[in-house]
Amino acid sequence: MTMESEHPQDDAAAASDKLILSLHGLKKHFPIKEGALQRVVGQVRAVDGVSFDIRSGETVGLVGESGCGKTTLGRCVSGLTDPSDGAVYFNITEGDRDRVDALRDIPDEQRSEQEREELAALDEAHCINQLNEQARRHYRRNCQVVFQDAFASLNPRHLVNDIVGRPLQVYGEASGSELTTRTVQLLEQVGLGSQHLYRYPHQFSGGQRQRISIARALALNPELIILDEPTSALDVSVQAQILNLLHELQRERNLAYLFITHDLSVVRHMADRIVVMYLGKVVEAGRTQDIFERPQHPYTKALLAASPDLSDDTDTEIPTLEGTVPDPAHPPQGCRFHTRCPVATPACGWDVDDVVRGLENQENLFDGLSAVNRVSPFEAQLTFDNEASARALADTLHSNAISASMREALEEAVVRDRTINIRFNPAEEVELTERAPGHIAACVLDPAAR
Amino acid sequence: MVDSPNTDQIYLQTRDSAWRVRAQRGWELTRTMLANPTTVIGLTIVVLLILMALSAPWITEPNTPDAYQMPRDWSAVRVPPGSPGHILGTTNRGGDVLYGVIWGARTSLKLSLMVVSLTVVIGVVIGSVAGFTGGRVDEVLMRIVDVFLSIPELIFALAIAAVLGPSFTNIILALVVVFWVKYARIMRSQIIRIKQSEYIDAARVIGDSKLRIYLRDILPNSFTPVMVQATLDMGNIVLVGATLSFIGLSEAGIAEWGVLVSEGQAGISAGRWWAPTFPGLMVFLWALAFNLVGDGLRDVFDPRTESAR
Ligand SMILES: Nc1ncnc2c1ncn2[C@@H]1O[C@H](COP(=O)(O)OP(=O)(O)O)[C@@H](O)[C@H]1O
Ligand code: SF4
Ligand SMILES: [Mg+2]
Repeated sequence: MTMESEHPQDDAAAASDKLILSLHGLKKHFPIKEGALQRVVGQVRAVDGVSFDIRSGETVGLVGESGCGKTTLGRCVSGLTDPSDGAVYFNITEGDRDRVDALRDIPDEQRSEQEREELAALDEAHCINQLNEQARRHYRRNCQVVFQDAFASLNPRHLVNDIVGRPLQVYGEASGSELTTRTVQLLEQVGLGSQHLYRYPHQFSGGQRQRISIARALALNPELIILDEPTSALDVSVQAQILNLLHELQRERNLAYLFITHDLSVVRHMADRIVVMYLGKVVEAGRTQDIFERPQHPYTKALLAASPDLSDDTDTEIPTLEGTVPDPAHPPQGCRFHTRCPVATPACGWDVDDVVRGLENQENLFDGLSAVNRVSPFEAQLTFDNEASARALADTLHSNAISASMREALEEAVVRDRTINIRFNPAEEVELTERAPGHIAACVLDPAAR
Repeated sequence: MVDSPNTDQIYLQTRDSAWRVRAQRGWELTRTMLANPTTVIGLTIVVLLILMALSAPWITEPNTPDAYQMPRDWSAVRVPPGSPGHILGTTNRGGDVLYGVIWGARTSLKLSLMVVSLTVVIGVVIGSVAGFTGGRVDEVLMRIVDVFLSIPELIFALAIAAVLGPSFTNIILALVVVFWVKYARIMRSQIIRIKQSEYIDAARVIGDSKLRIYLRDILPNSFTPVMVQATLDMGNIVLVGATLSFIGLSEAGIAEWGVLVSEGQAGISAGRWWAPTFPGLMVFLWALAFNLVGDGLRDVFDPRTESAR
């Protein structure tokens, strides 16, 4: 163990352009099935086109509210689920990553024979879902996970000895007394000891269980550990201990972390870079300091405001987040955050669903609704039982009951007989743009205008 | 480093303590179970019945050539209980009722152990396949299980045994056909539940194989409901088996409680109550005792309370 911890410093320069992980347009959609025939009636777009890299020895914080797709992304990276689209690359140089990006951006049918072969070769060498057997083993050993619920991730019938020693057994690394020695070493590294070897998980406290979980993840000496909310189930005082432990282990072993959390304050002192996710998409990414000091995206600002110990050094005019994350099976158009964004503009993607979302709690407004004809997400005809109801809706749409930006985006709300035609100005999804070197955000608001 | 005496010492010491920990856990569960008086009653009867079955060749003179056949004492037909040499009396064909009671226990033990072990294996295999493969295979298998479960056990076993013809082996066959389904269903639902637990994900992440995950994580964690059902079935199988024998689907003349009740029932109207009563009582005791123990186990292993231990 001491041997391994000595050379990373020397190799640092050589390894600096090595990416432990590179996500390319990663998507994971879960089919929604209904009825006896289990017909697919929709898709939960849990992760919807995510790209970012993790360097060797680096910590990337993946932040977003619950339901934004963080766990799903972690499961795709660790190989527990296959992505629906896009790819995860492991152990790839920046040069090769750029080549992959370029090749993947060419539509399938337009790739030449040669380009196709080149991409296939890169995929076989680095894409975790297409690795050859030997590379697969290498990846499997080098990417480990610490789950959110330590209790659930430890088999209740196994002793700590079996749990922590198991990875070593699987790869035939140790057996008999050597296995015990190495298991004890691992336990000692996480602050436990040989007196804990022969106990069941339920005999430990929450923090100790998470330590056991970390010891298991360390056993194979991985290069990357995915930490899925490793502290969110713990008491605050215990949280700090676990964070310190993770920090120390990283220093000793040149580990890279993908640190998933819904709480920005947790990753403040841990992460080198932060990726902010909202409804399956990256809305902002950059160096930790930049994210905390110059957040670009209103969602990031709201998250900072929501974090009690951080709120004083951010824009106090930004109110905390209201409501909950919308259903990822029907993400809002344009900027997905526009339904909750305190500074949304008319160009942010207001759509027909927002009419219903925004006016749902208005009494009787939709009572006489008899038919809906959707032309596009931005245009629909709503037919009511009588003309008065249609007029009432039209009046509401022109009143203060809906936000000024939404009213401005509304191109048309005309009543003909019992039918109202609603049409919004169509909007594209908002692209990520570079705001400063290495700092990207997806928001129509121009930072220079502020 | 590997062979330093210190390491070996820790290894041996701790291996020792692993067994102590496991034994202690077993003892704790046993103690919880023994805190329930009805379980204790059931367990006591079960132990006595099994002791009786096991010691049959020593506490009675085994009949020759086949000890499982009732010995016939034609010089003492229909004698009442308390007669010399026939403490519980004899049947109208000179069969010693005590011999039937004791060797009947042995027959019952043989029958129930055989049927339970066969059905557990069949059910666990089929349930595992259904739970793991899912999709059409699962659908077809579970449709079959549902059909089987919709027919009352006794009627179903009776129909099969009747088709196969009267013999002890056919009763075993009929019981196996009827009793495997519950294990398949239990096993399938356990697998579907456990497959989703995070400790399975954890095992996949370290790269363990499907087979080893099945053997190390899934089987041990689905063991208790199977064991509870098996204990209950140890009783139910004897009850259904005796009923089939009583109807005449077994071989006449063997030392089996149902056969004895059937042999003795004609004498009831003439006041010869002992020939059917004692074996009938044994069937009742056997089924009751195993059900009490099964219920006790179920309480101890209740998933809602078990994790707290
Ligand atoms: N196996 C699944 N099947 C269907 N939907 C899922 C599944 N796993 C997650 N989801 C959905 O995907 C979305 C993202 O979930 P998750 O990745 O757990 O988010 P987070 O970890 O950020 O809270 C949620 O709406 C969740 O309901
Ligand atoms: S684009 Fe920017 S301003 Fe518009 S809704 Fe999204 S975050 Fe708010
Ligand atoms: Mg999560």
